[in-house]
Amino acid sequence: MGGEDDEKKLEKALDLMRRVPPQNISKHLAGLIDLCPSLTEELLSAVDQPLSVKLDDMKKENFIICDYNRDGDSFRSPWSNIYYPYISDGYLPPVQLRTIEEELNSAFKIYADMYYGEGTLSSVYVWDIDNGFAAAILIKKTIQGTGCWDAINIMEVTERLGRPSHYKLTTTIMTWLKDDDFGMNLGGSVMRQKEDDIASDGGHTVNIGQMVEAMENNIRQQIDGIYFGKTRDIINGMRSLTSLSQKKNLTAGLSAELAGALSKRKPLE
Amino acid sequence: GAAMMKSDKQWYQRRVRGLLTRASSVFYDYATEQFTTVKVDGGDCLVTKVGSLDSAKRFVDPTTSKSFTYNFLKNEASEVEEVPRDTNVEGWREAVQSALKGYLDEVYPAHVSAVYANLADDMINLTICIEDHKYNPANFWNGKWKSKWEVSFPTAGGHSKVTGNMRVQVHYYEDGNVQLLTNKEVEESVQLSSPAEGAAHIVQFIKSSETAYQIAINENYHKMSDTTFKALRRNLPITQSLIDWHKLQSLKVGKDIMNR
Repeated sequence: MGGEDDEKKLEKALDLMRRVPPQNISKHLAGLIDLCPSLTEELLSAVDQPLSVKLDDMKKENFIICDYNRDGDSFRSPWSNIYYPYISDGYLPPVQLRTIEEELNSAFKIYADMYYGEGTLSSVYVWDIDNGFAAAILIKKTIQGTGCWDAINIMEVTERLGRPSHYKLTTTIMTWLKDDDFGMNLGGSVMRQKEDDIASDGGHTVNIGQMVEAMENNIRQQIDGIYFGKTRDIINGMRSLTSLSQKKNLTAGLSAELAGALSKRKPLE
Repeated sequence: GAAMMKSDKQWYQRRVRGLLTRASSVFYDYATEQFTTVKVDGGDCLVTKVGSLDSAKRFVDPTTSKSFTYNFLKNEASEVEEVPRDTNVEGWREAVQSALKGYLDEVYPAHVSAVYANLADDMINLTICIEDHKYNPANFWNGKWKSKWEVSFPTAGGHSKVTGNMRVQVHYYEDGNVQLLTNKEVEESVQLSSPAEGAAHIVQFIKSSETAYQIAINENYHKMSDTTFKALRRNLPITQSLIDWHKLQSLKVGKDIMNR
């Protein structure tokens, strides 16, 4: 009975989170957790928050922190494979997975450089799943005081003997842009999913890379359309730059002209 | 046993009352901040702080000169009463309202507005609230435009500063959650010699400010799309083609890459 109640609560909570201003997600999430502490775990994993960063003291490089490299209150660096704050018994991926993880980290570092440029951080974390593995490919780009782009790509790879592997990608992009001088703030998140079966004789990096690249390009285009197209259309629909009565007369004028032109045409032979 | 249950129930009731009390002030702040619209005797009216009679749930609509009780949860008005107009300020208030309507009809498909006026220390205080919104939950979006204009001047008229605040908000939530918020403050001194003339000047300032603002928002969209957004992530690498992942994979997982 408690479980069913919780499920309904979670549904309503997630529905609410979809409608709150994305710029204030963390604050609203904290408030929701306050109201329903029993749903904390589910809420934290279901709602994507902006990505945070930690320093790997040993490699002198930052890494992105999330649920996928967390063990208790510590986070594992993909560069040194050590937990910060240090714990001796944190979960470490088995050797084969760590190799895949290293390869994906170096590949996506280059990807990030080619698409995002300066001020970008990428991190990949890999873990076991039935008949395969999953990878969290995270990218964070910040332009101080102007914009931020956080990408969370969760890729599930299922290997099948003698057949193509199955790839399932769930990508969430959170991005905001602001212009403080003008007083404009545009932000939010978009989520998409895609599945495919691809031969993986040569390993998985190429397939994963191509799928993530295509997905991020596609979402970027959609964000462009929604952020700069749709929201702008909505604004211009609420207030007209030309007089509304002028618009009506224009339409009426066109109709009259068209009717006149049609009436002058010779009947078809 | 039963005694425990009774005190549980009381504790629960107290807690719910406490939550509702906190909730009602949150509702008041939110609704008045948003210039929420409500039907009063069939006509659309605004719920604003300026129009609040008790900082809780009684509001006045200056256009119809009616007061009402507002139910925040149901968005309904009740206990509607006629309120006598203040003859000291009604001349100015009505002149501004009339001039304003002409302008609003010109550019807002679905506007709701309120012109509030009062007299204090020989000064007439006018507050103009404008709202226009489009709700489209079926297509997962909604938008609101609101602006507030204030001016104070001596009863005999004068040259006074009009201050304005314009805010636009859009929310789009299909397969995601995107919000736009914009906000601008403006001010200008206008001549207020008589109600008709003064009203025309005030409305002219509102019209030019709002028109300029809408044009500027559109231009800023261009700028954000062409510059800021592109700087966040390119649509293709500088090579103008997709990455050759086979080539990338064959690159040695070298120290120089890992240590960048």
